[in-house]
Amino acid sequence: MSKDKRYVIPGDIITTGPYRPEQNVILDGNKMIATCIGLSDITDGAVRVIPLTGRYIPKGDDLVVGKVISHSAMSWEVDINSCYLGILPASDVFGRDFSSHANDLTEKLSNGDLIAARIVNFDRTRDPLITISGRELGKIDSGELIKISTTKVPRLIGKRGSMIQMIEEATNANITIGQNGIIIASCENPDGLSKAIRAINMIEEDSHRINLTDMVKKMLESSD
Amino acid sequence: MGHNSVIDQLKKNQIIDLLNEGNRLDGRKFDEPRSLTIDTNVIPKAEGSARARLGDTEVVAGVKVQVEKPFPDTGDKGMLICTAEILPIAHPSVETGPPGPPVIELARVVDRGIRESGMIDMKKLVLVENKAVIGIFSDNSVTDHDGNLFDACSYASTAAILSSKIPKYEIKDEVPVLVEGEFTETPITTIPISVTMARIGEHIIVDPNSDEWMIMDARITITTNSDGNIVALQKGGGDGFTYEQLVKCSEISISVGSKIREIIKQSTQGN
Amino acid sequence: MIKLGGRDTDVVLLDENGKRSDGRTVNETRKVTIKAGVLKNANGSAYIEFGENKILAGIYGPRDVHPKHLSNPDTGILRCRYHMSPFSVGDRKNPAPSRREIEISKVIKEALEPAVILDQFPRTVVDIFLEILQADGGTRCAALAAASVALADAGIPMRDMVSACAAGKVADTVILDVNNEEDQAGQADMPMGYMPNLKKITLLQLDGVLTPEEYKKCVEVGIDGCNQVYEIQKKALEEKYFSKGDQ
Repeated sequence: MSKDKRYVIPGDIITTGPYRPEQNVILDGNKMIATCIGLSDITDGAVRVIPLTGRYIPKGDDLVVGKVISHSAMSWEVDINSCYLGILPASDVFGRDFSSHANDLTEKLSNGDLIAARIVNFDRTRDPLITISGRELGKIDSGELIKISTTKVPRLIGKRGSMIQMIEEATNANITIGQNGIIIASCENPDGLSKAIRAINMIEEDSHRINLTDMVKKMLESSD
Repeated sequence: MGHNSVIDQLKKNQIIDLLNEGNRLDGRKFDEPRSLTIDTNVIPKAEGSARARLGDTEVVAGVKVQVEKPFPDTGDKGMLICTAEILPIAHPSVETGPPGPPVIELARVVDRGIRESGMIDMKKLVLVENKAVIGIFSDNSVTDHDGNLFDACSYASTAAILSSKIPKYEIKDEVPVLVEGEFTETPITTIPISVTMARIGEHIIVDPNSDEWMIMDARITITTNSDGNIVALQKGGGDGFTYEQLVKCSEISISVGSKIREIIKQSTQGN
Repeated sequence: MIKLGGRDTDVVLLDENGKRSDGRTVNETRKVTIKAGVLKNANGSAYIEFGENKILAGIYGPRDVHPKHLSNPDTGILRCRYHMSPFSVGDRKNPAPSRREIEISKVIKEALEPAVILDQFPRTVVDIFLEILQADGGTRCAALAAASVALADAGIPMRDMVSACAAGKVADTVILDVNNEEDQAGQADMPMGYMPNLKKITLLQLDGVLTPEEYKKCVEVGIDGCNQVYEIQKKALEEKYFSKGDQ
């Protein structure tokens, strides 16, 4: 491991000196302290910790997969596998002329429906707003749901999408990756589907391995 | 229960489609329970204990033995009481506070199944007739919830009781006095095994996991004893069973029950 | 029979060779093992065996607060429930929460609050559930140590871990890590919770009588015990998260 990267747990002193504390790092005097379990990284005068565990925290523009769990007169509440519930306003689906008298929310989405959505904004003072109007967003009608840790999503996507592309090409599966760790995989070929699911589970189990890409490639190319 | 009890439609449709093809989501056969592991003596300070893992559901049962005043109308019999608690670590939807109706039902069904089977010869638990008897308590703590707590608690308690020992008491002037370090065998007459089945549409499946539990139409828990007789029964859930389905369930509970009985016997051998 | 300032006992709490009733020396803790990530549903969890104590810790959160009036618009909050299973103690315990359990729940929560950072999670709660499966003296310290590991396992941001151990006094001697027998028949029991990097004591209680000198010694000895338990906490997290690598 490069000498700048180190495994840390909460309370560990990563380094001392004139650095900027960033993600998951706090400053105590001149000490940079890790606040979560992860890999510390010192780059460009900033110290951060890449977390190995923890729940999804919504970020604007993130694609997420959520489950509708209830609704009020004006919006749906969506479980986005986070500390907060996502709010999908009725006007997002019905348009600006939406009227709670004329339109019944359950016509479009009912409890238990899965949706691919984007986080519109999240400033922590209110529950995050989400939208399903956009390309490739909306109700999910088919596919299999796989849950992984949100911290493993970058590994599943890979550098510039290289890992997920490799899996999709090898299996012909269509894979929707929610930043919140919820993945939907669908494929016409059941063997392709099962291989894709195995690849996703492999990445979650073995994300720490340097040769992960080769391991996944090998599994995808094998005939069983 | 909070939003963790809304099942996703995709999965519900998947389960039903698979059932119509004769398959279950986790690949089990309709009459196949999940894998069961029993570890005994996990709480050495208790008089008996067991941890049961039924798939991803996990329960720890501990047996405590105490001298009790007998019930007024059964002065010649000891006492056996089973309880159950779903610990809040077991599932995000579990609320703390006094137990609600589902937990009370769970405890009472587990208790009846074991007690009504006559598992323990209560007449052998008398110390001073009408004054002092042995009370055996088996308390179930559910530590991880993935469906079918009825069977998981029942198996944990049964194994804990099978591997338990009763402290020895001497009677001096009509008062029981504990003899430190000496124990007697718990008087076991039969091994009750509960089998819970769910009805989803026309299909009857054994040992529903939490996904199947959430979409089932009705459920039934049937307890049988070592002779293959039915000793306790509880139907639950929002819908009903036909006569034919009930007969089928009773047959399944006897055949699946005898297999589980072997697993529990093996795990408590040498105790 | 030996009178030792506590209850009369015929157990020898400290013999002429400096050995305690369970064979330990005065500065030795009982055997401690911790495993992180043992439950399927909880967001974070840990199982600890501290001598004969067996305790499960489970964390849910940060998550929605119910009832809503408990939620804080500026920060997340901590909730803690310390609970003993009926079979965990010699005389079977009623499952309903006792006043002792309620007090211990509060004291443990306050021991963890200085460590957790929840201002980035307004209107949420982090629920800490501590289940005592078998008790043998010092459960609150063991539970606190497990809670800290479970919080880290759940990814809850913390400025330090919180470790815990008790000091005490038997036979007029300050000892480390009081077991059940020593608690019943000894002269003092001082449970402690400690943040090992920030060097702050966040849980401290005393049951018994200490001279000012003995008090200072107990605190020192307690800190030493906490540092020993901290090494076990680190090991538990390293085993789950760091040891699988080819690095």
